Amino acid sequence: MRKHSAILFGVAASVALFAAANAAQAQDKVIRIGGLFAMSGPGSYFGVQDKQGIELAIEQLNKTGVNGYRFEVQYEDSACSPLPATQAAKRLLEQYKPDVVLGEECSDATLAIMPLMEQAKVPLLNAGSSSIKVTDPGNPWTFRIMPNEVMQGVDIATNAYKRLNARTAVLLYENTNAGIGNAKVFGDTFKSLGGQILADIGFGRDVNDFTAIATRIAGLGKVDVIPTYTLEGQGLRITQALAQAGVTKGGGGQSIQLGTIWLPFGFEQKAGKAALGYVRIVQFDPTDKRDVVQNFIRSFKAKYNQEPTHINAHAFDQILVVADVIRRGGKDSQSIRDIMATTKDFSGVTGSVEFDKTNQNTKMDTIHYMETLPDLSWKALGWN
Amino acid sequence: MLTVVLQQGINGIVFGSLYVLVALGLTLIYGVLVQINFAHADVVTIGAFAAYFFTFAFGGNYLISIGIALMAGAALGWLVNAAIFAPLRERGNELLPLIATIGVSILLQNAMLLWFGPIPYAFDSPYSNKVIRLWGGTFITLQNLIIVVVSALTIALLYAFMKFTFMGKALRAVSQDRETAGLMGVNPNQLIMLTFVIASALAGMGGAMLGPILVLTPFAGTTVIVKAFAIVIIGGFGNVEGTIIAGLVVGLIESYTTQFVNPGLTDIVVFTLLLLMLALRPTGLIAEKREENV
Repeated sequence: MRKHSAILFGVAASVALFAAANAAQAQDKVIRIGGLFAMSGPGSYFGVQDKQGIELAIEQLNKTGVNGYRFEVQYEDSACSPLPATQAAKRLLEQYKPDVVLGEECSDATLAIMPLMEQAKVPLLNAGSSSIKVTDPGNPWTFRIMPNEVMQGVDIATNAYKRLNARTAVLLYENTNAGIGNAKVFGDTFKSLGGQILADIGFGRDVNDFTAIATRIAGLGKVDVIPTYTLEGQGLRITQALAQAGVTKGGGGQSIQLGTIWLPFGFEQKAGKAALGYVRIVQFDPTDKRDVVQNFIRSFKAKYNQEPTHINAHAFDQILVVADVIRRGGKDSQSIRDIMATTKDFSGVTGSVEFDKTNQNTKMDTIHYMETLPDLSWKALGWN
Repeated sequence: MLTVVLQQGINGIVFGSLYVLVALGLTLIYGVLVQINFAHADVVTIGAFAAYFFTFAFGGNYLISIGIALMAGAALGWLVNAAIFAPLRERGNELLPLIATIGVSILLQNAMLLWFGPIPYAFDSPYSNKVIRLWGGTFITLQNLIIVVVSALTIALLYAFMKFTFMGKALRAVSQDRETAGLMGVNPNQLIMLTFVIASALAGMGGAMLGPILVLTPFAGTTVIVKAFAIVIIGGFGNVEGTIIAGLVVGLIESYTTQFVNPGLTDIVVFTLLLLMLALRPTGLIAEKREENV
């Protein structure tokens, strides 16, 4: 009898231990996400807004979990610049050991961290870098959900030529991989259509005063469009300087500034009347009636008491893409990479995602054109 | 073409005036203390934020905000010198205050990042978009005209203070020989404090006028300070007149390089000039004995 009781006790204890171990394992089923974003320096507005989008998505997903997993995220300041990005990526990989990494926004920083991710065999999901080099040649571990500089540049140049009837342009860009690359694609496409590039003006991120550049453009005669590739801060000053020099519509001139995904919502309010007539593309159209968009806007406003920007939106989508992969069986870096590569017909806040063999999203519905109106609101142009 | 040349000349003088305001503070501190102040850039930024919040959060007048920024800079200069630099100087090690300026710079930048956030502020003075048309199609915004006038007045006042007042003469005496000046009844510590206050006040005022031009973030001042250091070296370390001339020359070089060469090459041109000065005329544009500089 005593022997029988001992066996029963042993079995019960084993079951209890097994159950406890299982429970602990269930609690430990975590997808560890690394966030490499600029938290300091001129690109830090990216990091602040990326973090908001990510936190919102994770908060929503962790209420129920996905396939038994919950999500954790750790951020490192990659500063929108190659050297700090490399150091931050090393810290993240060595100390946090993430299953997947999100970031960076700036192409130079993304290009710097890509080899580290490949070496560590951790997938990198990018939503903000436009340089073609990120995916071409790229590497098998890097994915991008935003349109690259070629997709954007060809589209903007074609629309400038055909819809705005532009025949002359001045290229304004920061001297970075993304700035130079975007401007080159625009210039090549515009010229191939029959347009003329009157000036090709690159500048460093430390330039503050754009009056001299605006003066030079004012002396060039009739300029139809001025595609501009800069971060928000310099973008503001360029727009104001061009208006003061009487070049753009905001200053009584005829030129139309063309902008890219780099500028967040609210740019018009900061730039003031100088932004009148500015045509630019954004990744997120808040007038889009799809549920995923409207639900995102509602929940974002509820959490942060402010309107979401496209940077918030693409960060939110990054987490949704990861969650979609986990839902389809992803559980570690290798399986996340393999399943992510097969993503098709994913519908997020910014648009659709379907990766080609270089891991570039092929969908163009993430490009939304908008124009700044006299009251500094904007209208969607519906060109895509 | 003449219009463009004249316009770029105006642009260069405007930005050169701002460079002078920032660089003068650096040169004053160097002249008296033989010390480089790496935190000077952050006083510029704080001046810009002081003017911004006075104008937009409290609905104040932009012109008055320049005075507010001046006072904010002066107060910060007094505080930092009294709390950090002066005690370190008393230990007799010249390296400690220099390193401390780097520490103060990082501390101020991160404090501003915490308080003001990283997203650029749109600091538009009510005069930024008021354009005054000049001869031959050239123009200047009212904001830029204010910059030139305020800078010129400030430089004239500073010059008069240094040349004609007792305190100014005492400051120059301390810069020439601190110990002898002390024996003559001048309190060197008080005058060092005065130097920090004046230099920081100039930086704060420069910040208020740079605010509508700069991309206003907690790191705004750092984009100007490298150029200001170059100006101080080109003008002759510690030489006020040289700094004024060098500031205007650098402003003009930047404008004309943008027009006739390439905007991406402005830094290369300015720093090539700096290297040439160091190689050929290390005493700066206006060569004087260092003891007589301030």
